[in-house]
Amino acid sequence: MSEKILSVPLKEEDIRELKAGDVVYLKGSIYTSRDMGHLNIKDKLEKGEELPESFQGSAIFHAGPVVLKKGDAWELVVIGPTTSIRMEPYAEMVGKLGVKAIVGKGGMAEETLTACGKYGYVYLQAAPGCAVKLARGIEKIEDVHWLELGIPEAMWDLKAKKFGPLVVGMDTHDNSIYKELKEKALDKITDWYKS
Amino acid sequence: MFNEKKLYDDVSELVFRSVTGISADVKMLMEKALKKETNPTAVSMIKAMLENVEMAKEETKPVCQSPGYPTVYITCGEKSLFSDIKEMFKKAICEGTERGLLRPSMVHPLTRENSGNNSGEGVPNFEIDCVPGQEYLEMIISFKGCGAELGNAMQIMTTAKLGKDLVGLKKFILETVINAGGKPCPPFAVGVGIGGQMDVACKLSRKAVSTRRWDDKNPNPLYGALEEELLEKINELGLGAAGTGGDTVALAVKINGVATHTAIAPVAINFHCWVARRAGIRLYPDGKKEIIF
Repeated sequence: MSEKILSVPLKEEDIRELKAGDVVYLKGSIYTSRDMGHLNIKDKLEKGEELPESFQGSAIFHAGPVVLKKGDAWELVVIGPTTSIRMEPYAEMVGKLGVKAIVGKGGMAEETLTACGKYGYVYLQAAPGCAVKLARGIEKIEDVHWLELGIPEAMWDLKAKKFGPLVVGMDTHDNSIYKELKEKALDKITDWYKS
Repeated sequence: MFNEKKLYDDVSELVFRSVTGISADVKMLMEKALKKETNPTAVSMIKAMLENVEMAKEETKPVCQSPGYPTVYITCGEKSLFSDIKEMFKKAICEGTERGLLRPSMVHPLTRENSGNNSGEGVPNFEIDCVPGQEYLEMIISFKGCGAELGNAMQIMTTAKLGKDLVGLKKFILETVINAGGKPCPPFAVGVGIGGQMDVACKLSRKAVSTRRWDDKNPNPLYGALEEELLEKINELGLGAAGTGGDTVALAVKINGVATHTAIAPVAINFHCWVARRAGIRLYPDGKKEIIF
């Protein structure tokens, strides 16, 4: 098991070296995006409109923060991962955009696993429910887009100093911790209740 | 007599206490799980969770960024229900949001428009039970995470589907747990509501994980034995904390049941993430206050 700090923008060759089970930290810019954010990106791409940031080499965090506005600036209170499976329909889109790491919780499914190999991105599992601890790895809020979607759904540009630890849950070599555990668990049920 | 002026302070304190910590029974079960965990990833996950609880306490911050969805369980006597209790909870939740203790997360179910302060039609949800002769007023607020909801399942089972020795029921619960995997923020609790019709079973399943201590013993021996058997089997599945493998994916199984019609056996399965944000008190007319969570 290795432990690495990865700097954003992420390089595809570094990402392809990662194996499911490795522990990594992220440094640099991290964009939050969840249900409405992904839908917004999809709409804009379909309409040929410009996106507020380039996603080439980026890290997307499935999350919505607790924030307070102090004067003109936004202060981060806490932030942690949301359940990633809701963003499964965007597996291809995210890959095409050049996203190299997704941070979330609970894992994703088959389409994402295929896209991870095809486009060279990984899925990283953050400790669920650990919003105070994870927020300590974020230096500040750099910017925010799409605030009209509401605080959780807006796209927050966070500057990370050492964000993690994050476990590689799905790698570019068709390995998914979640898939493997699920198959083993289903076999157990079959075994227990053989008629 | 109850002091109505002080009541708002109690309500506000319940909201504050519930979102800035987890209930003590759950913390104790997490500490026990950590001691016996053999998977290194799961050890680091549970450690991070317990550290996070301490950090939230130190910094007076919400334990989790998502407030989940609030339900308030009220049990009162005919003389201990206050007409404006609902308004008090609504106000306390909005105030908590302004203070940065709760993320504004309530939206219209279809337009998805965010109200900006956690207000909204039906928020919080209230479950009010009136017990004639009961002197005290009991209030439990439970903020239940919504990632957990994505793993939930409901089935109108039948005599045939329950199966011999309830094998059909057990398989339904175990398969639901596997499909949920890491989505409900394990180590979670599994609430099971059985009986009534669909609506009854669903409400029971939420009430079981929200209002019972996770380390209690079910007074009903049949449900109690099932809870123990299922908890053991669920953890043998190997899904672990965070769903990345390990010995403890569930801290508790809580089954609440009521009678049903002979044609059906409604079963609702309801996950509660490890971040058990709940607080409850009993208030007596003489001013005595009893803390439940």
